[in-house]
Amino acid sequence: MRFMVIVKASQDSEAGVVPSTELLTAMGKFNEQMVKAGVMLAGEGLHPTSKGARIKYSGKTPDVSHGPFPLTNDLVAGFWLIQVKSRDEAIEWMKRAPFDGGAEIEIRQIFDAEDFGEALTPELREQEERLRAQAGR
Amino acid sequence: MRFMMLMIPLGYETAPPDIQLDPERVAAMMKYNEALNDAGVLITLDGLHPPSMGARVSFAAGKPLVTDGPFAEAKEVLGGYWMIEVASRDEAIAWATKCPASENEIIEIRQVQEMTDFSEEVQQAAAGFAELQKGSGR
Repeated sequence: MRFMVIVKASQDSEAGVVPSTELLTAMGKFNEQMVKAGVMLAGEGLHPTSKGARIKYSGKTPDVSHGPFPLTNDLVAGFWLIQVKSRDEAIEWMKRAPFDGGAEIEIRQIFDAEDFGEALTPELREQEERLRAQAGR
Repeated sequence: MRFMMLMIPLGYETAPPDIQLDPERVAAMMKYNEALNDAGVLITLDGLHPPSMGARVSFAAGKPLVTDGPFAEAKEVLGGYWMIEVASRDEAIAWATKCPASENEIIEIRQVQEMTDFSEEVQQAAAGFAELQKGSGR
């Protein structure tokens, strides 16, 4: 099962404050452990929402608004993609993440083709597989 | 420049674990995904199960505190994402506006951090990150 681990934004991440060398070193070690265990598929940090945009699809034309967006518990600062056998295993890994006080992460399972049932017709499934093979440069 | 397009479907924060998708909408979205791919823009994409199947881990109390979903205080949650590579933020926005999204959906565009965005000290502390990413079996 694949999971996305969403790292929540904080005042610091939204202000563009980069983590301390100490935390980066600890995070590098944690990532290394996950890679060695074959758990980590990807991990990225996102620039603050001040450099971002939102597009809302109400009405005829999409409505674009520019960041920054109000800091809520729902804003994202970064993510990992991990592959583990269960949600519990995902939680166990993330308990070991070297975060300091205040940080919060959210663990969400990624949809696999099997999860869609009949909505994903054989044609759509074939198209999806082809896309994935071609993308990812 | 790499950007993440975060799909935020309003109401998804309270969706049941066994949510069913509309085949017509899936087909429309696949056309869009194909257009991203044909343009050489698409890096990867994924859909996320509802938060009722998820968990949150908070480090605020000094040790990890696990809460099972759904999350009462959530006003919006991620439904999925695209990772794209384009020349500018405007190009990312232009792609997002072409998405066949429904009226209750929002896409948030966020630039992905590159090592060159950081100071030399930070780059040194994160040395080996590129190798980690390469080694992480994508």
